[in-house]
Amino acid sequence: MSIRSIGGTSLFVAVALVVVGAGYPASGDSEQQRRESVGASDGWASRAVWACDRRKMVVVEGVRPDEKIPPARAQLVADVLMDLMRFCNEEITAKIAINQMITVSANGRVYEDYVPGGPLPIVKASFGEPTKREQMIWKAELDKMVAEGDRLFHSDEIGTNGVACAMCHPNASNTHPETYPKFQTQLKKVAVLRDMVNWCIMNPLEGKELPYDDDRMRALEAYILSQRAGKPLDAGRH
Amino acid sequence: MDRSVSTLHRMILAAFVLLTTVSAVWAGEFELPVPADVIPPEVPADNPPTTEKLELGKKLYFDTRISTDGTVACATCHDPRHGFVDPRGKATSAGVGGAMGTRNAPTVINAAFLASQFWDGREPTLEAQAVQPLINPIEHGFPDHPAVVKHIEGLGDYGPLFAAAFGSDQITIERVGQAIATFERSVISFDAPIDRFLAGDAKAISEPAKRGWELFNGKARCNTCHGRIDVLPLFTDDLFHNIGVGVQSIDFDTVARKAAAAVEAGQSVDELALADAEASELGRFLVTREPKDMGAFKTPALRNVELTAPYMHDGSEATLETVIDFYNRGGNNNPYLDGGMRPLDLSDQEKADLVELMKAFTSSDLDRFDALAKLAP
Amino acid sequence: MYRNNMTRKEIERAFAERSAEDQRLLESLKNCDRRHFLRTSMKFAGMAAAASIIPSHGFQIVNVANAAEMPGEDADIAFRFAYVSDSHLYAKGMDHRFAKACIKAVEDVNALDPQPDFVLFGGDLAQLGRADELALGQQIIKEIKAPVRMMVGEHDWYFDMGDKWKEMFGADQYSFDHKGVHFVVLNSVVEKDFWTEKGYTPAERMAIVAGLDDNRQSSFEVGEPQRAWLKKDLAGIDKKTPIIVFSHSPLYKLYKKWNFWTDDAEQVQALLQPFETVSVVHGHTHQLLTNRIGNIDFHGMLSTAWPWPYAPEGLPEYTVQMARSDPFNQFDGCGDGRVDVLTGGRINKHYNLWSRNPRTVTAKELASNSVPGPGGYAGPSY
Repeated sequence: MSIRSIGGTSLFVAVALVVVGAGYPASGDSEQQRRESVGASDGWASRAVWACDRRKMVVVEGVRPDEKIPPARAQLVADVLMDLMRFCNEEITAKIAINQMITVSANGRVYEDYVPGGPLPIVKASFGEPTKREQMIWKAELDKMVAEGDRLFHSDEIGTNGVACAMCHPNASNTHPETYPKFQTQLKKVAVLRDMVNWCIMNPLEGKELPYDDDRMRALEAYILSQRAGKPLDAGRH
Repeated sequence: MDRSVSTLHRMILAAFVLLTTVSAVWAGEFELPVPADVIPPEVPADNPPTTEKLELGKKLYFDTRISTDGTVACATCHDPRHGFVDPRGKATSAGVGGAMGTRNAPTVINAAFLASQFWDGREPTLEAQAVQPLINPIEHGFPDHPAVVKHIEGLGDYGPLFAAAFGSDQITIERVGQAIATFERSVISFDAPIDRFLAGDAKAISEPAKRGWELFNGKARCNTCHGRIDVLPLFTDDLFHNIGVGVQSIDFDTVARKAAAAVEAGQSVDELALADAEASELGRFLVTREPKDMGAFKTPALRNVELTAPYMHDGSEATLETVIDFYNRGGNNNPYLDGGMRPLDLSDQEKADLVELMKAFTSSDLDRFDALAKLAP
Repeated sequence: MYRNNMTRKEIERAFAERSAEDQRLLESLKNCDRRHFLRTSMKFAGMAAAASIIPSHGFQIVNVANAAEMPGEDADIAFRFAYVSDSHLYAKGMDHRFAKACIKAVEDVNALDPQPDFVLFGGDLAQLGRADELALGQQIIKEIKAPVRMMVGEHDWYFDMGDKWKEMFGADQYSFDHKGVHFVVLNSVVEKDFWTEKGYTPAERMAIVAGLDDNRQSSFEVGEPQRAWLKKDLAGIDKKTPIIVFSHSPLYKLYKKWNFWTDDAEQVQALLQPFETVSVVHGHTHQLLTNRIGNIDFHGMLSTAWPWPYAPEGLPEYTVQMARSDPFNQFDGCGDGRVDVLTGGRINKHYNLWSRNPRTVTAKELASNSVPGPGGYAGPSY
């Protein structure tokens, strides 16, 4: 490192430390909570370093609030804060663990791994990457619909003659949803999946067609598509 | 390339274009009146449509002299005044000497678009079909094609027309077929209320017909065989199905099973010594010798069906109402019945709605053929 | 019965070369009336085939090719039996589509001329194992003129563990001899108990077994007691005696997820291997299915009720798949069939496919490790 960069960085660190040392911004309860929420878990000490915009923060674990951050770790703090400043409008907290592993949390989301100099694991879209918890909830909701579709697909309640979809399509085989839309000769027109589902309900199953936005239709589609997940789209293939 | 040479090239090109256009006009080539969004019919490469061929074909088509007793022309059974089917209203058509045939005469309208001709599809083109009835003993009655040619030569007034159409006054059976086919190919009609309704005119068909259209594509299961494909709106799938027509007129079960077993065993079907009526009911099977075609006949195109009573290959259904009843009960059971046939459980109202729908298939432009009516025997 | 006739020679000649006479004959056929057409029918068929006018699915090519390779094969048929299988009846009356289909098969079998020596019912008479379903099935099967041999399927068994079946139709495993062939009928849909621990009711147990893709059930097996019975049954039989085994599950391992599978297949096969000529005719798979393992031929039976798609993996290479069925046509992909037992005890399996041309899979083609020519569907897997 050149003298100049050491100097510059040190200056920055000094400024940052001044900010830290000069006391925290108007300490409303939320600020206190935020400090505490990122701080001492498992009895470990940690101290927080704010950027000047009051929206970016780095929490260094293993350093007591009244302790000076060792130079190498301080450098890392500065690097991370500089990196985070790219995201002007976000509230971001980075955590540097004892073992120097860094994770970041954007706008209150779950902490994700982060490598300095690499891309930040933050999606700039209005709804970013789902947290692990969100993913779990969303999948549970999907599984519920797929399970209902599975049940209908295998039941005799969709038609009137006891024939179930699964009789010709065990595990939704031979449904080929990835090949729609295509000209479906039984319908004598180009069909999408729901057209064919309804045709099968009315013809081999001798039942009543479902409205396209009926929950049962949506569940059947969910089951069929889930069984064919990963198949490449191939519209028009017979 | 300097400018003068390119100008010369341009002049040569222009002259070429002019010449081909002029020669085309001289040859009288015309375009078939096919709607813009419809797939045009296949025309054999060796028989492009010309006005000279059409005029010759028209004369041949309406000429009752081309039969052994002078009473039968193509138009006798395919009459332009009557939807191009038999105006005499019997189940099947009568030929020379009033001999009754086994088949109900299909319409010529839009026949050009079909993949095959005859109820059993045994001929692929209009050219091939047109010359068959000429040598059928119960239709035009000639013993063979050379006799037909000799007879036309003897009529004396065809030489110049053949010359104009084909370049020489030689009369051959191929040319006869090509001329008649050219005329038939021009008998095209697609403008019916159902088309206008589907194009967006909500007032084009009646409310019962609209309900009929829903049934046609739904509960009544018509569309899988008679569906209207946008790019080929004939109301037929051009395939062959056994729906059980005529199985009650002969001991079809026994005859059909015997015929299938014979073919499977490598025997010839004629060894069964089938009577003409029995053989006739085996339908497409006689052409392909495949058991799956046993008793199968071509799905007719439904345009103008209101005008072409009686119905089915043997004319056994007199009215549209009886046709709907036939389908409502699932056709006639037999060992080769198409598995798509099944009782439909239609109410009287639904049946009536379907009949109203059939009437919406009648073309609105049939007066185009009024001039032909004058030529009818 | 059947006779070698001159027409076959004419066909072979047509295949060999298009002579001038053939050309003239073809020409005359274009202009003929029906009588003339029939008179020259077989010649026309042969010529048309040579000219590729008949599509390659036309069964005649397969049969004729077989005939050309195997002169006198017809004379080798010792006897024949027919089958009706997998009717899956609901007790919803004779107008229900499954009942109609079963009746159609019975009519087919009754119309066979000459009549078969006996008719095998291949299992799954009922759909949910209920007494009224079995009763309806018995009522329909009763109309078969030839003697009937019954075999049980899982849909018949798991409501009451076979009580009603045994009461109506007798033992679920037995053997008999017929014209020098030893027939064995197995209950090969035995499943290890999966229901007691979970507390399933009989109806729930049956519903689970009824689901082809319901993996809460166990795999099919023949099981140790039955294998012991089989061993004893085969003990005194000369190794040259032809054996034909009727089994609902395939007695080999095709696709576990759909119970196209017999868990102790190798052990059952080991009991059969010492015999020179062994064939297995099985149900459950509702499709055209062919396999050969060692010296054992395996042939599947068609269902009258509905066709299964082919499994995504595990298809034996001997199988020429039937094409996908048309759901508009309730008979498509379904049917019944016949087995010709040849002198020597090997079998030709005849599939009487409804709405399609029939297919015959012969012992000869299995032995030669070849698959029949253009008649097979080589399309994408299901």
